[in-house]
Amino acid sequence: MSAIVDLVLGVVTSIGGFVEVGSISTSAQAGSEFGFQLLWAVAAATIMLAMLVEMSGRLAAVGKQSVAGAVRERFGIHFQAVPLVAELVIDVLLLTAEIGGVAIALKLLTGIAFQWWLIPIGLVVWLVLWFSGFAIVEYGIGMLGLVTLAFVVAAWKLGPDTSDLAKGLVPTMADHDITRYAFLAVSIMGATVSPYLVNFYSSGTIEEKMKEQELWVNRTTAYLGTAFGSIVAMGVLVTSAMVLEPRNILVDSYEQAALMFVPTFGRWAIGLFALCLGIGCLGAALEITLNAGYVLAQVFGWEWGANKPRRDAARFTTAFTFILLMALAIGLIGFDPLKLTMICVALTVVAMPFIVLPFLVLMNDKRYVKEHTSGPIGNGFLAALTIFAGFLALIVVPLEIIGGS
Amino acid sequence: MALELAAVLLCSGCSRQDARLEAHKKSLESLGATTKVIAEAWLSGDVSGTYTRTALEQTFYLVEQERARLASTPEMLQDRRGATLSQDAEQLSRLIASMIGDVDTANGDAARQRLASLPIVPQEQP
Repeated sequence: MSAIVDLVLGVVTSIGGFVEVGSISTSAQAGSEFGFQLLWAVAAATIMLAMLVEMSGRLAAVGKQSVAGAVRERFGIHFQAVPLVAELVIDVLLLTAEIGGVAIALKLLTGIAFQWWLIPIGLVVWLVLWFSGFAIVEYGIGMLGLVTLAFVVAAWKLGPDTSDLAKGLVPTMADHDITRYAFLAVSIMGATVSPYLVNFYSSGTIEEKMKEQELWVNRTTAYLGTAFGSIVAMGVLVTSAMVLEPRNILVDSYEQAALMFVPTFGRWAIGLFALCLGIGCLGAALEITLNAGYVLAQVFGWEWGANKPRRDAARFTTAFTFILLMALAIGLIGFDPLKLTMICVALTVVAMPFIVLPFLVLMNDKRYVKEHTSGPIGNGFLAALTIFAGFLALIVVPLEIIGGS
Repeated sequence: MALELAAVLLCSGCSRQDARLEAHKKSLESLGATTKVIAEAWLSGDVSGTYTRTALEQTFYLVEQERARLASTPEMLQDRRGATLSQDAEQLSRLIASMIGDVDTANGDAARQRLASLPIVPQEQP
């Protein structure tokens, strides 16, 4: 019974936790510039993420190791240094962007400049992490995040042509701005396959003490939760394509993106969009902050756990506090939230091979996953994904330069 | 041979300039369209004055950024299309600034009149 409750909670909160600053901005831009044409990129990124999340959960449930901890143990600190630095840099920048997303949501509601909200939001994030356990961060915010289903409702009420939607799921070449199209396709993948998600999921599996016998819960949560979650990201893209593209509005700011709700929700539109953006980004900010603490503690062998009394995991607590302070400091220097998001997304793509590659080894090492090693199909997919990630990492910077703006 | 090479270089320079102008035009058209949609939503009561002011201010900054980028090289303004675009962008900036004033004073009629004289608004797709 408990396993079924965990499964339902896991799937439901995956839906609520899927949409954040990266997926909203990339999907909104993709829809406004290329209609439904980039739906396939969301679908492809979802498959990639679901596979990685399932594997990280399997590793944690069987080997009782998080991804960061297992990589540190299996490959040593010299190999770990690269993904560790990459992940921390991305985490800090993405955290700044997520806090910026919450601040923009508050700006949309109050008119007060977003910079004024950065420190109060940082304080809220820290207080939530200080006073609450893993369940509140994961399930509480995930449940609140169900408000993002408004994107799906909006898309559904706008009545898109199903055959056009189906066509969007098949990769095709754009008839204009090919480099921009390619950049957005790669960005959608970077926004979806965030490194923090993979380690956060494996750390959460350990926090929740998932057993080896419950691997089916992990598998179902990973695939079903990610698939349902991606429907929300597709909702953003479709709504943007149906509202903003015909009006020739390109998304250069969140204020423009908010307009996509107006035809469907009328006077509730801006409030609802602000709620979606704010809650989605707050959830992601909490997860990223916690994950940065997890990663540092797991790599350096410190005591860690969101459910542990803070005194018992003092270095873990200090680590996530430090990361949060760094993100706030960058935020206070001044930034454009949307541009920073797109930079983070590109950096994620550059780091992607370092995230994917270790799985090829770990998921075939019986010391970590016992008899639950990946089969030939899983290994084939993973090998293809590693090559694909390497390719994306090579092209993302030139694409950012040519097609980024 | 040298003449051919010069012609090719000149052509590639022209096409790069054309592409840049097209990109600026597209961005400014998007900002013009954004202004129109925001103002219409405000006039129909769908969005609050707070949001309208915030969104128009943001659009104003984006127009100014785009205008600065457009005028960053003399070649752009030497081109008649670039010069026209720059003037339209300036007009759009002034119009948005006035519209922000209309929102502050809740003057819907004035905003409606300004909406009718918006420069750089593309034709909406069906």
